[in-house]
Amino acid sequence: MTDRVLDLPRRQPIVLGQQAGLVVILVLLGALFTSKSPGFLSSFNLFVLGRSLAIDIVIGFSQMVVLATGGMNLSVGSIGVCVVMMGGYLMQVVGLSVPIACALALVLGGALGWLNGFTIARSGVNSFIVTLASANLFSGAMLILTKATPLNALPRSVAAFGQMRIGGGWVSPMLAMAMAIGVALIIFYRYSVIGRQSLATGANQRAAEMSGVPVGRRVIAAHALSGVLAGVAGLLTVARVGAAMPAVGGQDWLLPSFLGPVLGGAALAGGFVSVGGTMLGAALVTTIRSGLLVMGIGNFWLDLFLGLFLLAAVLLQRYRGALSPRSRMPRV
Amino acid sequence: MRRILNAEWAGLLAAIVVGAIVLAVVSPNFLSEFNFYVLLRSVCVSIIVAFAQMVTLAVGQMNLSVGALGGMTAILFGGMMEVFGVPLWLAVPIAIGIGVLGGLVNGLLAARTGINGFIVTLATASAFTGVNLGLTKSVPFYRMPVALQDFGNGRIGALPFLLIAPLVVSPLLALFLFRLPIGRRLLAVGGNSQAAALSGISPGKAIVLAHCLSGLLAAIGAVLAVAQLGSAQPLIGSDWLLLSFAAPIIGGTALAGGYVSIIGAILAVLVIALIQNGLVLAKVDPYWVQFLLGALIVATISLNRWRARPIRLG
Repeated sequence: MTDRVLDLPRRQPIVLGQQAGLVVILVLLGALFTSKSPGFLSSFNLFVLGRSLAIDIVIGFSQMVVLATGGMNLSVGSIGVCVVMMGGYLMQVVGLSVPIACALALVLGGALGWLNGFTIARSGVNSFIVTLASANLFSGAMLILTKATPLNALPRSVAAFGQMRIGGGWVSPMLAMAMAIGVALIIFYRYSVIGRQSLATGANQRAAEMSGVPVGRRVIAAHALSGVLAGVAGLLTVARVGAAMPAVGGQDWLLPSFLGPVLGGAALAGGFVSVGGTMLGAALVTTIRSGLLVMGIGNFWLDLFLGLFLLAAVLLQRYRGALSPRSRMPRV
Repeated sequence: MRRILNAEWAGLLAAIVVGAIVLAVVSPNFLSEFNFYVLLRSVCVSIIVAFAQMVTLAVGQMNLSVGALGGMTAILFGGMMEVFGVPLWLAVPIAIGIGVLGGLVNGLLAARTGINGFIVTLATASAFTGVNLGLTKSVPFYRMPVALQDFGNGRIGALPFLLIAPLVVSPLLALFLFRLPIGRRLLAVGGNSQAAALSGISPGKAIVLAHCLSGLLAAIGAVLAVAQLGSAQPLIGSDWLLLSFAAPIIGGTALAGGYVSIIGAILAVLVIALIQNGLVLAKVDPYWVQFLLGALIVATISLNRWRARPIRLG
């Protein structure tokens, strides 16, 4: 990896540009599903779609912030479920008010992420293996403490937030929240010193270190942020389901967490992120999943199609990039 | 003797001896013939699964689809015997062929498209799991041939018949990786892909080969798992991922590629099995297994880093 070309982030039109291919795939898929099943574009289905999309987007962000520094986080799902159960416990058993419980639960998410980052930065061990281990550590601890019992007597306002509709009845406030996080991340990576330094760390760690970037601290910060975002995704799931389930997250989040950012053009080797691309990548994941359900293809075949579609999309992205010299794609 | 003490797996060996002594003192059941049989039986599939990941690590890749491919192979293996009445002697090679084919798909995608092997196998893992669940609707195939079940349950004293598989596969794998030119090339690519390419070795071919080998081993693991359980369960393989990485890494295999330790991987599987066995004997919550396995990986890595500390400073 030492010979990698320094791949500094380039400015690009906010959302489109490289992601035109993704938009085309999305529109085609949307048209296909609508023609097969007219209910696909109904106001209710769009609302439901938006809720899932919000969660997929935040899961993608959670992975993206770590990919930016050149690492990866396999414990996204485990941190998510820890925050879910912590939030549920604080609301239902301790009886804290919803905002305080959520805030405290997110602190736990950040702390678990920080632990990942600290271990990686201090030991110098590959983030893959550290987070693989911590994923099992976290979800193991969660199962030991909760005995895998769901908490389903949460305050009513939680489920009410999940049911709330704004913007003409087809937008969920959860989607608006995901968008807001996206805007904040764009500002963070474009204009803040810490954001720029995080990208520099991912692009070339040694060069960044030589230039005075506190590389270790940036890695730790990225993991802590990833933990908080995984927690946000977890809490959004709680609002959607109306209960804190120990079966949320885990390995189910692994594939979506990578495919959003990677389809969106983030380099696995680090140094480049695309917030808009991650959103589009998440939209693809959500569309495929919900389209297959609407078309009545059994739940059992879902994994196959998800895998195949996503493989096809990654290949398409890759070759589109190879064929058009003007949009130089970073190697996925 | 000195050679044994200096080997990187000496710590593991010590851990096994100490662990066994502690378990024997704490729980008298540990030394029973039956418990040894259970312990050894649980190790057979795990060792093969660890090898399946180790060969991809050797070439500097990783295979996240080990478990998914194993699961798919297991239910296709069971399905073809139950539904189509394929005889056992034919079903085993077909199953292994399916595994190789799955590995070939992984390998070609990873080597030819330039897409990171991690992403490729993450996606194919989802596809393989989908085939598995789509075909079975989560219902296992129960009617397995008697010969297969006998093989899965049979034992001589404390030694299960299943142990034949790792006893045959391990030396063959060692021969392949350490003595045959083709295996050396694989490790060379893992060590430094560019240097290997400049020396006339094709990294692409080595990557495809490693993935095929990984698929082959995953399929052997799947057949063994079906024999062990006496039925083709769709859940086979769903818990292989962590173990497949944990055992080689704890055993000293380099995550970056180029270096593997077969004995290390086997000993690591034994350590993990001892922990699980101890937890069962102590009647602890099974959730602790996951937790302790995670902790064990972190501890091993930290220990290895700590041992390597003076070298890093110098």
